[in-house]
Amino acid sequence: MSVKEKLKRVLIEDLNLEDVEPDEITDDMALFGEGLGLDSLDAVELVVIVQKHFGVEIKDMEEGRPALQTISTLAKFIEDRLA
Amino acid sequence: MRMAIQGIGLCGGFGQGIEALRTALQAGRVEPQEVCIEHQGGPEHFPAYRAVVDQLTEFIPKRALRRIDHFSKMTLLGACLALKDADLLEADRSRTGVVIATGYGALKTTFDFLDSYLDFGYSCSSPTHFSNSVHNAAAAHVSMQFKATAPSLTVTQFEMSVASALLSAQQWLAEGRVDQVLFGAIDEYSEVLHYCRQQFFAEGEQGPVQPLDFTIQSAVVGEGASFLVLTRADQTAAYACIDKVRLGNHQVRPLELVPDERLIIGADGHKECGRWYASLLKDHPVTAYAAVYGSFPAAVGFDLAVAALMLRDRKLYLDSEGDHSSPPVDLSPAEKLSCLKFGPGGDYGLIQLST
Repeated sequence: MSVKEKLKRVLIEDLNLEDVEPDEITDDMALFGEGLGLDSLDAVELVVIVQKHFGVEIKDMEEGRPALQTISTLAKFIEDRLA
Repeated sequence: MRMAIQGIGLCGGFGQGIEALRTALQAGRVEPQEVCIEHQGGPEHFPAYRAVVDQLTEFIPKRALRRIDHFSKMTLLGACLALKDADLLEADRSRTGVVIATGYGALKTTFDFLDSYLDFGYSCSSPTHFSNSVHNAAAAHVSMQFKATAPSLTVTQFEMSVASALLSAQQWLAEGRVDQVLFGAIDEYSEVLHYCRQQFFAEGEQGPVQPLDFTIQSAVVGEGASFLVLTRADQTAAYACIDKVRLGNHQVRPLELVPDERLIIGADGHKECGRWYASLLKDHPVTAYAAVYGSFPAAVGFDLAVAALMLRDRKLYLDSEGDHSSPPVDLSPAEKLSCLKFGPGGDYGLIQLST
């Protein structure tokens, strides 16, 4: 399973997005606001999710903000840290 | 001060809403669901009265519920149904207080949070689990959802939680701090609870529940939420009035009951608690409804709802030991009912109701 596919699955499971299917989350859909509709509380959960499921730490908002834009940016951030 | 019951909302092993409770009472017994836990040595099956909360989405959008755990969902559903029953869903609730009674609190969320802490360390502990594990979270969800801006309180005193919390509700109404109290009794099942009960009650929890046989352990775990809308009794009660709430310990000061006082007892198949009923209730007409909703500390809230329903219906619904081929016994308008709950150490809560 690719990082993007795993991200979509754990986002739905861990954020309880029961009304969303993995196929409905496009790689370039905005995670916050318009798009997937996540909010600031989800941002905190996302930091935990990325560390728990991928072993990658988002240390501060300086590196978190650009990473947490879309599935693509977050997957790239994870893949870069794991490389 | 007397309190009037204006609305009832429930969810439990019998279903959702007051009509589901009435149907279950007419049958006298509800079959518990079969729960399965996977262990390394194979699956374990056992009975439990689990609550379904799917009606909640009729009141609150699904997306708004995604951070809310099962405990708070049961709480919100009970509150929604009680407000609907009292025709207060659209009312101004700025002077509505919220009092929650629970023996255990949000068990599953609390243990999930602890597990995440133990398994992954503090930096990977879910902030959502943490916020839901805070003991007043469910009451806060109710207050925020319904804009009930008067005081909000959660009371935990194990089996005495309901009687103890009712005293707070009564005090708020007597002081004029609130005009209504949304009063809820909630407990939830969790796998950890099942494990603990297995350790404490080695005789097992396979049922069937036989609440009036005080010589055997027959309890089956349950969960659910039972809500009442309470006002001062200067308003006509839609169901019944709570006349008196008493808390005490039978060993310290023996409980004296009015002769022939008709009682709904909180006996739920726990032998350790049953001995107190056996010693006291020889000459009293008693019924017990644990075979409808199972065993959990806040089940007293369901006994209270049953008493209020029976006083309004003027019918005594027979319990699981009764002869259900006969129609329910009629209750006279002057009839009184009391709910009595004993804890294992002789603590008791007695709640007296009349029309």
